[in-house]
Amino acid sequence: MDFKERILTAINHEEPDRVPVMGLILDRATSDRVLGKKPADIGSMLSNPELRDEIKDYMNSSWNDMYYGSWADVLEAAIKLGFDANWTVYAFMQAVEDPESKLGLVLHDVFGRVWELGVDEDGNMMSSYVRGLCTTEEEWDAWVERKRPLYDKLIENVADYHKRLADNYGDRILPIGFAGSGVFENTWQPMGFVNFSKFVYQKPDFVEKVIDFQTDVYLKCLDAVMRSGVEVVLGGDDLSQKTGPFMHPELIERLFGDSYRRVSELVHKRNRKLIWHSCGNIYALLDKFVEWGFDGILTMEPTAGMDLGKVREQVGHKLVLVGNLDVSYLLVRGTQEEVEAAVKKAIRDAAKGGGYILSAAHSHRLVDPTRLKWMIEAAHKYGKYTS
Amino acid sequence: MSGEILEQLKARLLDLDMDGAVELAELVAGGDVRIADAVNAISEGLEVVGQRFQRGEWFLTELVYAGEIARETMDLLSPLMETASSGPLGTVVVGTVAGDLHDLGKDIFINYARSAGFKLIDLGVDVPAEGFVSAVKEHHPLALGMSCLLTTTDSEIGKVIEGLKRQNVRDKVKVIIGGAALTEQFAENAGADAFAPDAVTGTDIIRGWGAS
Ligand code: B1M
Repeated sequence: MDFKERILTAINHEEPDRVPVMGLILDRATSDRVLGKKPADIGSMLSNPELRDEIKDYMNSSWNDMYYGSWADVLEAAIKLGFDANWTVYAFMQAVEDPESKLGLVLHDVFGRVWELGVDEDGNMMSSYVRGLCTTEEEWDAWVERKRPLYDKLIENVADYHKRLADNYGDRILPIGFAGSGVFENTWQPMGFVNFSKFVYQKPDFVEKVIDFQTDVYLKCLDAVMRSGVEVVLGGDDLSQKTGPFMHPELIERLFGDSYRRVSELVHKRNRKLIWHSCGNIYALLDKFVEWGFDGILTMEPTAGMDLGKVREQVGHKLVLVGNLDVSYLLVRGTQEEVEAAVKKAIRDAAKGGGYILSAAHSHRLVDPTRLKWMIEAAHKYGKYTS
Repeated sequence: MSGEILEQLKARLLDLDMDGAVELAELVAGGDVRIADAVNAISEGLEVVGQRFQRGEWFLTELVYAGEIARETMDLLSPLMETASSGPLGTVVVGTVAGDLHDLGKDIFINYARSAGFKLIDLGVDVPAEGFVSAVKEHHPLALGMSCLLTTTDSEIGKVIEGLKRQNVRDKVKVIIGGAALTEQFAENAGADAFAPDAVTGTDIIRGWGAS
C-alpha cells in the first residue's frame, strides 16, 4: 500500500496495511532542523530601517513565492521524516510598517487581522495573530469594502498554491489541503474576542452579517483547495480552549451551525472527505461535529484533557480521529520508550477497524524532529494491521 | 423599594441585560439607594456568574459580557463610592510572558478581576522578565499575574520570580499564574504562590490575599 491508499483506507474506516502518520504545520525551526537549513538573520536585518524597507517590498512583491517556498520546505521535511500525509495551508498577507511593533513591521491579512512578526532563538521569522483591525461595525464595513478586490485574488491564489504543492509533492506525500482559518476565527479575530462577545448580545445582526460574509469566502476557498486535486481537505476553527468550548454549544449551533453544514455539504458534493481541526477540550462538541457532517477531527489535545479512547467511545466510527500525541513534554523531551508507549496506547485506543491517523497534537518550535522520527518508527513497528 | 432595585440590578446582570443594568445603576446614582449596597449587589451577581462558569453552564462569551456589564455599572457607581468609602480592593499587575502572544486568558482575567473591584495594570503580551519586575517595583501591587500558554515560554515564569528575588521584592508581592501550559505542580516548582485554572478562581485567590 502507498501513502495515499493508506490514508484513504483509514479515512474510510477500513484497516490499511498499517496506521498512517500525518504531519501538521511543521514549525519552521523543526523543518529547518530536518533539512539542515540555517535561517537568515531576519531579526538584525529588520533593525536596519533601509533593509526593513527592502524586506517589506520583497515580501509584498513575492509573497506567493515566499510562502510557497516555506511550505515546500515543510513538505520536504515531512517526506524526509516519513509522514504519509501533511497539512498544507495558504495565507494572504501584506507587510505593513508599524512603529509600535517589535520589529517595526507587521503583517495584515485580508480578513483584518494583524500578525506580529518575531524571531525565535535560532533566528527564524515567526508570525502570529495578535489583534484585529475591525473593532467596530463601521471599521469592519470599511475594511471589507476596501479589500473587496483582494478576495477574488485570494481564491485564485489558494487554487494555484495548492495545485503547485500537489503537482510537485503529490507523488511522495498526500497534501491535506487546509482552507485557512474557519468562519468562527475569521469572525471573531478581526474584532477581538471581547468585542465579539459584546456584539453577540448587542449587535446580533452585525455578527450574522459577518458570519454570512465569511461563510461565503470560506466556501469559495474550500472549493479552490479542492480544485487543486487535493483529496482530503482540512477545515478548522479553534472552537475550544483548555476547559471546554469558547461559547455555549447551542450558541455555536445557532450562530455557526448552518455555516458548518454548508461546508460539509460542499466537500461531500465534490466527493471529498473533511477533517476538522480544533484545539482545546472538545468533548461537548463531538456530537455537533457528527451532526454538522464532518468526517473526522484532528488534534485532540491531551493537555486539554482529551483522551483518544474516550473520544472513540463517545463517537464510535462516526468520525476519523487524527492526533493526540502530546507536544508539551512527549515530543519535546520525552524518551524513546515514552514516545513508543504513547504511540502503542494511541493505536490501542483508536486504531481498531481503521479510522485513526497518528499525529502530534500541535506544532511549535521545540517539537523535536528526533521525537517525530521515533513516533513514525513506532507507528511502523507497532501499527501493522494483521488481519 | 431599595431592596427591590438591588435585586433587579443583580437580576439584570444575570440576564445579561446591559441596558437594563445600566438604567438601574443610573437610578441608584441619582436616587437614595446606598451606593455601597448597589456595588455589593453587583459583586454578588458576579459571584453567581463565576459559579455558573465553573459549573460549565456558562462559557467565555457570557463570562466576558457579564464582566462588561459589571464594569459599565461600576464605572457609574465607583466615582460616587470613592467619596464615601474605600477605593479598589487592591492593585494587580498582569501580563503574558515573553515569547507568548496569547491574550484571551489574560484579558478575561483582567476583565473579570477588574469588574470584581481590583485595579488592574495590563502589561500586554510578550512581556520580558524585566518588564514584570519593574512594574512590581513601580506599582507595589498586591499580586503579580502571569499568563503562559506555551511550553516554549514556561521557563519565563522562573526568570521573573528570580528577578523579583534579585530586586528584593519577592516577599512584597504574591505571584499568581495561569494558562494552558501550566499546572498546580508547575506553580509549586517555579515558586509561584498560586495557579489559577480559570479567571474566576484566580479572582477568588487574589480576593483571599486582599482580605488577609
Ligand atoms: C494572572 O493570573 C491568571 C489567572 C488565570 C489565568 C491567567 C492568568 N491566564 C489564563 N488564566 C486562566 O483564566 C482564563 C479564563 O478562564 C483561562 O485562560 P486561557 O488562556 O487558558 O483561556 C482563554 C480564555 C481561551 N483560550 C485561548 O485563547 C487559547 C486557546 C487555544 C486553542 C489557542 C489559541 C486560540 C491560539 N493560538 Co495557540 N492556542 C492554544 C490553545 C488551546 C488550549 N488548550 O488552551 C495553545 C495554547 N496554542 C498552542 C500553540 C502551539 C500555538 N498557538 C499559537 C497561536 C494561537 C492563535 C493566534 C491561533 C490563537 C491565540 C489568539 C490570541 N490572541 O490569544 C502559536 C504561538 C503564538 C505565540 N507566539 O504566542 C502556536 C505556537 C502555534 C503555531 N505553531 O504557530 C498550543 C501550546 C502547546 C504547548 N504545549 O506549548 C495550545 C495548547 C494548542 C494545542 N493544541 O496544543 C485560564 O487558563
